[in-house]
Amino acid sequence: MSATIKVERLVNLTVALLEARRPLTFAEIRRRTGYYSQGDAESARRMFERDKDDLRKLGVPIITRDVAFGDDVGYLIDRRTYELPDLDLTRDEVAALSLAVGMAGVEGMRLTWARLAARSPDPVALPAPAVRVLIAADAVESLADPIVYRSTVAFTYRAQTGEPARRTVDPYAVAQRRGAWYLVGHDRDRDALRTFRLDRIEGDVDVVGEAGSFTEPPKFDLAEALQRPEADLVTLTLEVDPASRWAVEARGGERSSSGVDPAQPAGPETFVVHAFDPERDLGWLLGLVPAVRVVKPPEVVGRVVDALTRIRDGHASGESAAGPTGGTR
Amino acid sequence: MTRSAGGHNGGTMPRAGRAVTDVARMLALVPWLLERPGVTVEETADSFGVSPTAIRRDLHHLDFCGLPGLGGGDLFEVDMIGDRIVVAMADELRRPLRPTPAEALRLVLTADGVAEILADELPALRSAVDKVRAALGIPAEVADVLADEPTEVLTALRDAVRDGVVVTFQYRGRADDQPRLRTVEPWQLLVDDGVWYLQARDVTADGARVFRIDRMHAVEATTRRRAQAVPTELPVPLFQPSVDAAEIIVELDDGAHWITDAVVCEEVMQVSGGGVEVRLLTDAPQWIAQLVMSAGGSARIRSPEWLRMRVHEQASRGLAAVE
Repeated sequence: MSATIKVERLVNLTVALLEARRPLTFAEIRRRTGYYSQGDAESARRMFERDKDDLRKLGVPIITRDVAFGDDVGYLIDRRTYELPDLDLTRDEVAALSLAVGMAGVEGMRLTWARLAARSPDPVALPAPAVRVLIAADAVESLADPIVYRSTVAFTYRAQTGEPARRTVDPYAVAQRRGAWYLVGHDRDRDALRTFRLDRIEGDVDVVGEAGSFTEPPKFDLAEALQRPEADLVTLTLEVDPASRWAVEARGGERSSSGVDPAQPAGPETFVVHAFDPERDLGWLLGLVPAVRVVKPPEVVGRVVDALTRIRDGHASGESAAGPTGGTR
Repeated sequence: MTRSAGGHNGGTMPRAGRAVTDVARMLALVPWLLERPGVTVEETADSFGVSPTAIRRDLHHLDFCGLPGLGGGDLFEVDMIGDRIVVAMADELRRPLRPTPAEALRLVLTADGVAEILADELPALRSAVDKVRAALGIPAEVADVLADEPTEVLTALRDAVRDGVVVTFQYRGRADDQPRLRTVEPWQLLVDDGVWYLQARDVTADGARVFRIDRMHAVEATTRRRAQAVPTELPVPLFQPSVDAAEIIVELDDGAHWITDAVVCEEVMQVSGGGVEVRLLTDAPQWIAQLVMSAGGSARIRSPEWLRMRVHEQASRGLAAVE
């Protein structure tokens, strides 16, 4: 079936189900639209099922109802769920939203904006702001339906320590902080509020509960919930060569009072760096080696030694511990 | 600037054929056109972020849509007066389809992320986000972007961009072993998924440059005004290799895949065992060495030999110092 006819068929099916006052059976849909009659009955029915699925994917709320007679079902679009209510956006608001969407430059979002702006006044012209903001919220995609419809989810999660484990969670909220995305929800096995970093979820998020499988979340402070992962943050003590002092200062490092050796004014100095995430920030630290040396805590020293050993062995000369170099090109 | 091309094209549309994508647009196009009689094809294409050809195709389809027995079989009457569009009827579709939760969440988070940073410059965005949240049922308790308090460096740079004054700062570029004093005419700040950049004209080098703000310190505004106008188009810049750039081959395990986003790769080859081997050109091999160090063993220099030895030596010296 050509794409041209399919476009028109999907629009007409939408209109037929929107204008209906009561659920329409498949036979009634055939009569109303003039489609789904060609060829054998089974393939016509399959075409209808495919069209219905395609429209549902777009968010068209086609609902199924039992009809009073026979064992047939009827179909209907719930107009109140279909229609976006008027937002009463001002011209400035339409323009500001347009600018935000345009800056992010994510495919598909322009259409969402056009729906919101369709019945609003045309935007005013705005000067380009001094800051351009790019933000990619792709990570939250799989959690949108479960959060909005309140369905329990399950996923494999790699915590900061320990083996990856299966978690079953009532998803309450998603948030971004310092460039990382988080899920806050009720961990069913631990029976407690927990925060998960989305980049530590391995594989897919599976929906394991029906819509409405949990009730309204209790009141909680999202900002406070996001502080929790920082319980794992540590304070570093570093010995820093003058050449890399700027890099440590740029990360908020403070020169410790006893830092300078008076006998060696151009020598290394001691710095402390607060709120260091031993996992996430390790790469930053490794990038400064050997001009920066970790003194404590032992946990971070251990991680640095492990990583440097791997780097050294991976870069040993000849047929190295990194494995065969031949045969991979 | 280290972004690779096409990093922001994560699609939000369901993975569906063109017909389904077209229908999604048409369901929004009908209310849009009903509200704006006489709008041009070009204006409409701009608003929807598609080509005029796509809009013309939509109009053609709409003209053919209709159910039998309903006012002569026409749902829509599409009239073109020159380039201007007038549609009539189509009452069933007078309001746009409500966005799906995924579309709503993405839009709200994006607008919210921008509003966190541009609250002062775009005051209308805050109230717009509130209205969108209310209409789409995405309250702040469900989805939020939390920004940190701006640092002194950021505040100084924003003021300088706004006032159009020259600034100086210490900066260590990819090819620099030591920070160097830079004097620049600032054009625009850029936040890319939480990382801040400054786009500016480097006065000494007399050319456009991009600076990472976390590599900057001792920022000072001068009293001198910008000598040259800000270019009207400021694209997200990509690194352009120069003719004398060194060729480097790096092997990456899964854990180091992010490096392909941080550099512009000439070639990415799959290798047995799940990793990839990337070939890239750079004028800053020490910067690549630093990226490889940051990957903590998940990335290995394959060639050139001297760079492999340098990473080996850096790791060995680092180990000798702590052990």
